[in-house]
Amino acid sequence: MASGQAFIENLINILDIISEQRTISKGEFLIREGQIEKNLYYIETGAVRVFHLSEFEEQTIRFGYEGSFINSLYSFIKGTPSEFYIEALRKSTLRVISKGQLLDIVNESNERLKQYNSLLETLVCQQIEREIDLLTVSPSERLRRVLERSPNLFQEIPLKYIASYLRMTPETLSRIRNS
Amino acid sequence: MQIQTHLLIEDLLNRTEKATRAVKRFKELSIEQLNYKKSATEWSVLECIEHLNLYGDFYLVEIEKQILAHKSKAPSTVFKSGLLGNYFANLMQVKDGKVNKMKSPKDKNPVNSVLTPTTLDRFLKQQERLKSLLIQAQHVDLTKTKTAISLTGLVQLRLGDTFRFFVYHIERHVLQAERIHAGRTSPHLSTSTVG
Repeated sequence: MASGQAFIENLINILDIISEQRTISKGEFLIREGQIEKNLYYIETGAVRVFHLSEFEEQTIRFGYEGSFINSLYSFIKGTPSEFYIEALRKSTLRVISKGQLLDIVNESNERLKQYNSLLETLVCQQIEREIDLLTVSPSERLRRVLERSPNLFQEIPLKYIASYLRMTPETLSRIRNS
Repeated sequence: MQIQTHLLIEDLLNRTEKATRAVKRFKELSIEQLNYKKSATEWSVLECIEHLNLYGDFYLVEIEKQILAHKSKAPSTVFKSGLLGNYFANLMQVKDGKVNKMKSPKDKNPVNSVLTPTTLDRFLKQQERLKSLLIQAQHVDLTKTKTAISLTGLVQLRLGDTFRFFVYHIERHVLQAERIHAGRTSPHLSTSTVG
């Protein structure tokens, strides 16, 4: 874990030098379904959400906050069309780094490679946490789990997207919060 | 009205494919073009499509439910339209490019809601689902299988009529959206209250 953190710190330092900055306004998309993810984004300010679109609804599956990295990961790794959309929830400034640039940094030294591996391990664990979220039957328990990970959730993200992330209606979410 | 089941399904699949192609062309338009409207009370292209999505939310779920629940082993090869079902379907149908004006129920009126390009993507997903349901329906009795309707719980329609109503309704509003984009909205379509 500590080593993954080291990679992130290194990466952020390098980003200052090599990456381009992009500003997107509320409602703009970083990627849409069907496009191929070529970048990794670091959120300097703002917030985004990752969602999957079905015939009937948009299902929010992940948030990106200030100071976090985000992209459509599966598409980025495999080079296949993205199944997800990433949308800015408010005006956001991002650092953009391409897959090629990232791999150059990773392959620079053995130490970097180890750090990167450690970062990927962290990501796998986060995915498992999310999987448990989705398997958790009780709505209030789902909310508790997420608040433990992201205590500032309600300050950062509009309620309707939190409800979608928790797989409940906004009304249910309000009721649980007030009880 | 009476028709061979496979002919009806073939016809509805063709109409569905045509509507899908038309909406795929809308994906090339800018968000400004998609939201363009002549006046505040009229619909934009996206509002026409969102109106269809709201219907799809009800009918695709209902149709799928009835198809999954159907029991008949040897479905009839002929579909016989019901009195009311035939009336509703014909009401929706575009004839010689003419559309009879009607009011949309409030809960299906998307006017002035905030819409994004995902509206089009959602519609295209619904069209895929519709296509799949039409194909599955080849093995279902379209006359004996009944579905609920969105307007009232008092009436049920024959599945074949529900499909006709649903597909004609899509045709109608895709045509409306095309005319809005072309900027030559016909007098028949000039208000937001077109069904």
